[in-house]
Amino acid sequence: MKKRAQTLSRMKRQENLIGYLFASPWITGLILLGAFPFLASFYISFTNYNMLSFPRFIGLTNYRILLSSDTIFWRSLGNTFYHVSIAIPLGIVLGVGLALLLNNKVYGMSVYRTMFYLPNVVSIVAMALMWLWLFQPSFGLINEVLSPVYRLLDIEPLRWHQDARLAKFSLILMGLWAVGGPMVIYLAQMQDIPNALYESAEIDGASWVRKTVSITLPLMTPSIFFNFIMGLIGGFQVFTIAYIMTSGGPGRATYYYAYYLFDTMISDQNMGMASAMAWILLVLVLIVTMIALRLNRYVVYLGEES
Amino acid sequence: MRTIIATILILGTLAISAGCSREEKSEALTIQFWHLNPVGSPGFSQMRGIINAFNERQEAYFVRGTGFSFWDYWDKLSVAISSRTAPDVGYRTIDDVVARASNGVLHNISELMRNDTSQNNIDLGEFRESQLEFATWQGDLWAMPFSATTRVLYYNLDMFSEVGLTEADVPRTWSELHRVAKMFDRVEGNTITRLGFDPTYGNTHYHGWLWQTGLDFFDDELNPTLDTQGHLDVLEWIIGFNSDFSRGQLTAFGEASEMLGINVFASERVAMIVDTDGLYQTLKQADAQITYGVAPIPVPDEDGIRVSWGSGFSLEMFDNGAGDEFRRTGAWELFKYLLEHDAQIALADANGWIMGHRSAMMEYAGGDPILQAILEEIDYAVDKVFVPYAPSWHGADWFPYYTEALDGTLTPSGALAAARAHLLQKRANWEATR
Amino acid sequence: MTEALGRVLPGLRHRRRIRNALLHLVLLTASVAFTFPFLWMLFTALKTPAELLQGTAAFFPSVPQWSNFVTAVTVIPFFMYLMNSLIVVVLVMLGTLFSATTAAYAFARLEWRGRDVWFVVMLATLMIPIQVILIPTYILYAHIGWLGTRLPLIVPAFFGGGAAFYIFMLRQFFKGIPKELSESAIIDGANHFQIFGRIMLPLSKPALITVMLFTFMGAWNDFFGPLIFLSNPDHWTLALGLRAFQLQFGGRFDLMMAAAILMVIPTLLIFFFAQKSFIEGITFTGIKG
Repeated sequence: MKKRAQTLSRMKRQENLIGYLFASPWITGLILLGAFPFLASFYISFTNYNMLSFPRFIGLTNYRILLSSDTIFWRSLGNTFYHVSIAIPLGIVLGVGLALLLNNKVYGMSVYRTMFYLPNVVSIVAMALMWLWLFQPSFGLINEVLSPVYRLLDIEPLRWHQDARLAKFSLILMGLWAVGGPMVIYLAQMQDIPNALYESAEIDGASWVRKTVSITLPLMTPSIFFNFIMGLIGGFQVFTIAYIMTSGGPGRATYYYAYYLFDTMISDQNMGMASAMAWILLVLVLIVTMIALRLNRYVVYLGEES
Repeated sequence: MRTIIATILILGTLAISAGCSREEKSEALTIQFWHLNPVGSPGFSQMRGIINAFNERQEAYFVRGTGFSFWDYWDKLSVAISSRTAPDVGYRTIDDVVARASNGVLHNISELMRNDTSQNNIDLGEFRESQLEFATWQGDLWAMPFSATTRVLYYNLDMFSEVGLTEADVPRTWSELHRVAKMFDRVEGNTITRLGFDPTYGNTHYHGWLWQTGLDFFDDELNPTLDTQGHLDVLEWIIGFNSDFSRGQLTAFGEASEMLGINVFASERVAMIVDTDGLYQTLKQADAQITYGVAPIPVPDEDGIRVSWGSGFSLEMFDNGAGDEFRRTGAWELFKYLLEHDAQIALADANGWIMGHRSAMMEYAGGDPILQAILEEIDYAVDKVFVPYAPSWHGADWFPYYTEALDGTLTPSGALAAARAHLLQKRANWEATR
Repeated sequence: MTEALGRVLPGLRHRRRIRNALLHLVLLTASVAFTFPFLWMLFTALKTPAELLQGTAAFFPSVPQWSNFVTAVTVIPFFMYLMNSLIVVVLVMLGTLFSATTAAYAFARLEWRGRDVWFVVMLATLMIPIQVILIPTYILYAHIGWLGTRLPLIVPAFFGGGAAFYIFMLRQFFKGIPKELSESAIIDGANHFQIFGRIMLPLSKPALITVMLFTFMGAWNDFFGPLIFLSNPDHWTLALGLRAFQLQFGGRFDLMMAAAILMVIPTLLIFFFAQKSFIEGITFTGIKG
């Protein structure tokens, strides 16, 4: 009995060591290369730093200003929450759907997959110009297509990204177009699903829908969860599409948190304030992510735990 | 999989061995100079010639020039200045020299000039007083005007003669501008296909129009002045200029050009536009087939002031705190060289800019009437004031309210009041961090 | 799975054909929207400056100017930049594969003290916008004497720099591989290094290829890292070198798009071949039962 416990604890110690050994390249890099910039930015968030002179310590002033007397801070945070809460669910549904569609073995599938991936590689200028043209209220393609609907409902054509109420949603639509990235991850995960599962289901006469719902989707939850977390992290840092499409407008309708952070740093040259914003963002996203990680064990199917 | 890994490994080994580059040795001290003509850009070989000419005429120093794309240069330089690894000589914008001078990242140009007993000291008389003022902090110069730019009115003479106008009819006042512009407007169905003029197209800014009335964005204590009747009048004039069209029509017209990637002036979609000397370069390079001229921007009918926003680059010597006397002297020699008469002409040619050196530019403009006209306007150009609590007041701070006023989601007075409140909050917050 | 269905129930072949036709219809329609900007880039690259400026041709170039591509290749030291890009891209791919797979294995399959805390730290590194750590990072590299070399772009990859995304992704994949496989290997006397090398890596081929694709794209297209961290222009990568065509004053849209197309083509080719492995995955990985 005693001997067995000893072996167990030795194995435990050993696994501890092996765990650290496997993680050591990453941990070493984090401590030697990552820790200083990370902690430096934390310190800078308590200073007044214009990127020219030495940072001057001012305590919690930056945080106090942001939270108590900066209206744009709250406005941009609200815009970001709106974006995250709509873009993520839509992105997952579309990404999974597209992956299911493209996981068929049909002639020319490679070409289709490449075409759907195209938006992830084209220049951002080309992308912006195309979407400005699609959304253009007077002669854009989307409103051309929708014009019978407008006539039927007798309403004014939508002004998409030029309308403060619709601008955020328009940018979300546009972001969905880069769904090829997550799609690749879903496709990769689908390859890990054992064929035997499908074969036995087919013998039971299961339809495609039935197989998708009871085999494919549950077994894809790890990558769905991954894309969900990544969507959260990326969504809270959304910036580029607003920068190129709307310049944060109309008004400040698409002025997202990361956009404000960028302006604080570049336009105002206020690195102290920008760092404080970055750390507030980090804490916020971390809280949301921790909640998601907690929920994860109820939702995500993992082979080992079943 | 194994073959892929193996291929990568072999490629990796090759890459590492190729990566070990040789260090070149030189007796002369290397001076770093950053500019905006990267390898492959149109002015690259000319810029290399300018630098080589300096390297050949003296032996103590070797200047290494590195060119960056216009969109990358500022990020690269900002990081380098912050980390005290800036080049010895480089360009920046002249309107915020004060920020760098007061934070000790620049060498004192006045001091270098005082200590310089050589023949080729900088001749300040060749540079504009208005520009030198922006490079001055606490009575000393901390940079030199490098390039100079301004905004002018471009008019299409082909279109003018089409409606029976000549060069004599080029508008000089706001009401003339409006009257002439309206002769060109053309609408098909609900779509504008041609426009005389719009005060928001081209390279125009609210503060540019504002200055022409003698008003300014800030008072002497740098408080925003946006709550006066004068502001309201200017903003309403801009919004109302093409009031016979809806904002949606005007936006669609502007965006139609943008989406085809075409220039609204070169494609004869507008008869007149306000833009910088950059438009002249664009038209010249693309060999645009239109006859056109440039004139001063029309001014308000009563007490209008001939003024335009002219931003420009400054030439600066960055101080990384190393205290290296020899290096500083080398950088100073290069600095002076780049501001010499001949070098300024060569730089104008390489970049397509108008440089700060006046007599050099007179010579450069030579028989080019458009360039001469632009050059004349530069004497009336003013740069925007540096506001420490809102360095980008004309952009990130003002622009959202301006577009809301144009779109009609805020009334002109509402937009002005909101912008003023925003700037006041910003000032209070800025002062709290001091 | 359509094929499997056809094998089991041959009578349904007709219905399968209709379904495939429908699928093609849906995919074709959707892919038009997805390829449009690429075509726009291509046609812009083939236009003359005058066409672009005056809008004489709306969408198609009147006479395709293939010379724009020649210009883009000849006025910059194209092959030097290409070589530099390959050096960085290959080493970053190698480094990321190494550091991401090892760390992912530790997070997915090993019990070690502090694992969950380290995991959260790893996620946190993704949550800080890189701009705010840029200057401290640069100062750090300056102090350890890396400026003037390519090391800032390459070394971090071997130590998990920028790999948090891939570590997390691979962890999810590794967790999906049945534990019984490694357990039976342990009974056969295999150690963790053997399980990692002989079971986990081979079974995660689609995931590893995805990591390689993404790291390739990241390193290949990155101009900001090389811009900030490289001080010697002889080390410039293609992504940075081609920025010379970015709209300068009076810039050339056609040249800029030609340059962009040159950057895109290798990525597309790699994607095309990478995704083929996903099909192989479907038919040849029967062992995963």
